Amino acid sequence: MMQPKPPYRLHVALVFVAASVAIGCGKTPPASFRLNMVHATKTATPESGLEKPWATWAGNRQQQVATILEAMFGTPDSPVVLPETGLDAAKLQLAAGPVRSDIVGRKNGLYREHCGHCHGISGDGMGPTAAFLNPYPRDYRPGKFKFKSTWRDGKPTHDDLVHLLRQGVAGTSMPSFALLPPAQIDALAEYVRYLSLRGETELALFAYAEQELAGDEQLPTTKEFLVDEMLAPIVEKWQAANEGQIPIAAVPAGVDFSLPANDFANRESVARGKVLFHGDGGCVKCHGVTALGDGQANDYDDWNKTVVAMSGEVADGLQAAHAVSTGDLSPEKLADYRARSEWLHAFADVIEGDALRPRTIPPRNLRLGVYRGGRRPLDIYRRLYTGINGAPMPGIGPSGPGGKGSVADAEIWHIVNYVRSLPYEFDGELGADRPMVAKDRF
Amino acid sequence: MKRFCPLLAVGIVLQAIALQAIVLSGSSRAEEWGAIQGKFVFGGAVPTAGELKTDKDVEVCGKHKLLAEELVVGADKGIANVVVFVRDKGVKVNPDAAKAAAGAKVVLDNKNCRFEPHVTFVQVGQQLVVKNSDTVGHNSNIATIKNAPSNNLIPAGGDTTITFGSDEAVPAQVTCNIHPWMKSWLLVRPNPYAAVSAADGTFVIKDVPVGEVELQFWHEKAGYIGEMTLGGKVEKAAKGRKKVAVAAGGTNLGDIVLDPTLFQK
Repeated sequence: MMQPKPPYRLHVALVFVAASVAIGCGKTPPASFRLNMVHATKTATPESGLEKPWATWAGNRQQQVATILEAMFGTPDSPVVLPETGLDAAKLQLAAGPVRSDIVGRKNGLYREHCGHCHGISGDGMGPTAAFLNPYPRDYRPGKFKFKSTWRDGKPTHDDLVHLLRQGVAGTSMPSFALLPPAQIDALAEYVRYLSLRGETELALFAYAEQELAGDEQLPTTKEFLVDEMLAPIVEKWQAANEGQIPIAAVPAGVDFSLPANDFANRESVARGKVLFHGDGGCVKCHGVTALGDGQANDYDDWNKTVVAMSGEVADGLQAAHAVSTGDLSPEKLADYRARSEWLHAFADVIEGDALRPRTIPPRNLRLGVYRGGRRPLDIYRRLYTGINGAPMPGIGPSGPGGKGSVADAEIWHIVNYVRSLPYEFDGELGADRPMVAKDRF
Repeated sequence: MKRFCPLLAVGIVLQAIALQAIVLSGSSRAEEWGAIQGKFVFGGAVPTAGELKTDKDVEVCGKHKLLAEELVVGADKGIANVVVFVRDKGVKVNPDAAKAAAGAKVVLDNKNCRFEPHVTFVQVGQQLVVKNSDTVGHNSNIATIKNAPSNNLIPAGGDTTITFGSDEAVPAQVTCNIHPWMKSWLLVRPNPYAAVSAADGTFVIKDVPVGEVELQFWHEKAGYIGEMTLGGKVEKAAKGRKKVAVAAGGTNLGDIVLDPTLFQK
């Protein structure tokens, strides 16, 4: 669509005029939460026999969810704190809203000062800088967190979030906020929880609509439904975090973490760890025989996977739609076909405009000595025990209390020791820098 | 703060059961159970399944010629792996069926670098043994929604046992991150009233209480099955739901013909 362009200066002037008309002078529009468009569209597969155009039907549902969420959680500038969420309103107040000072000169708007540019106003991990970062900033809305002390599926404890904020995430763009006063870190951790609760409630509402509502049916707006049925199970999981911490086995004899892993005192433990790394631990599958992270994995994490799966489905769907000869369809089938095409095109737009381009998650190179979840032996133990929630990394400990893992709890410490040894060359008898070959295993 | 009151909840559930018992005992006798059966038939030419790219652990997985299983149609047009279950929440459960299910373990095997079976049905509280019969390690990443999702590494020859505390509205996907072509589904229901169609497209749900129940039909490629042809008549089924009258001698739905366009997704 080429149109004759006005002269450059006029063009610029027009933009300024248009902009000042649109937003007024010096006034920024109030911040608002964005809907989770990938899920809103994913759960709005057109049913057969829709009476309205698909866009109207899906738009109504999105509007309804947005209204409910605003009633339950408020806006970025003024959060609503339902007592059932168990959130601390005073802490949220410190973190929410634009950056400003309150009446006693205390800084407010901490989230937008420190976090929003990467994690986004809505906590969707799509702030203005997100597209330039690798890995992408965490999207809090599914309520999944990687680095924590709880069972794989469990929520992080408040202390886990505080610890992560203080440490930062090594090897990523997430810095340490250790210089902030504890009260501010506390407030930020609480705000992350708020954004997660909101995001998870949103997912639950869309999922409910997909599974339970037919045609034009609306979501119930009773307290019983919204609070007791949708919100409460999510809050319960967060509140159970403290009781959901994984057991930490006693460190077995022959493991001395006060000494370097390649110290003579650790040699048997490291050798045992190496056998497990290549054997029952299964680590070698993805991290490779050399532990350079060059195994065979090239999978996506859960956040990216949703977009990947949908991109595939939409591409296939559009291809199939193009192959249909519409002239042969009955009027009823034609209406269904149109609704479906409308949905597929809308989805293609959402994937393009409301999601970051999916990236695979390469297994870590364990020879670098950079550990995203922390470098203490305890941190590595936890990563091995439960795996990494949301990432392809499986756990080698049991999947829940009383279960059986593929490696006994205490033995995991030997793998920790071996992993600790990997960034260093052995000068001893082991020669562990040599990749293990088949004959070493038998 | 309003808190969840377990006693009250138990009270309500007990009351509901009692009420139902009263209502049901008036109209039906205890022995009245019937089976629901039928056969899913593909309403078009038999599609050919594509071959999967087995590019990991090639020395083990590469020797099996694996085919895509997202739509399996037999030579006689029977559609395998269609999920059917009774949707009604408070449906009365046949005590014998419940007892049989409680003792049985359900096995999901990682075998020949694929999941066996492709769609697994497990009841709430029942033990699911996920095992690995291969000579390479697998992980089974179970993406349940209401239940805690899990992802355990299962070494060659190993196994792990999982139980589920809550039912799932739709089957959850089970994948192996090490071998990304490996995909299967897990249906978790609160009662024995669910079935997965066999290789010839047939299914049977036994011992359903006589009367009307609401079935839900689902298939991994089609999603909720919104339209089916029964006895030559096209029927709409919003969200794949369909009410069926169960007779004492059992109800046979006959051939359930599914249009190929349902699977073009």
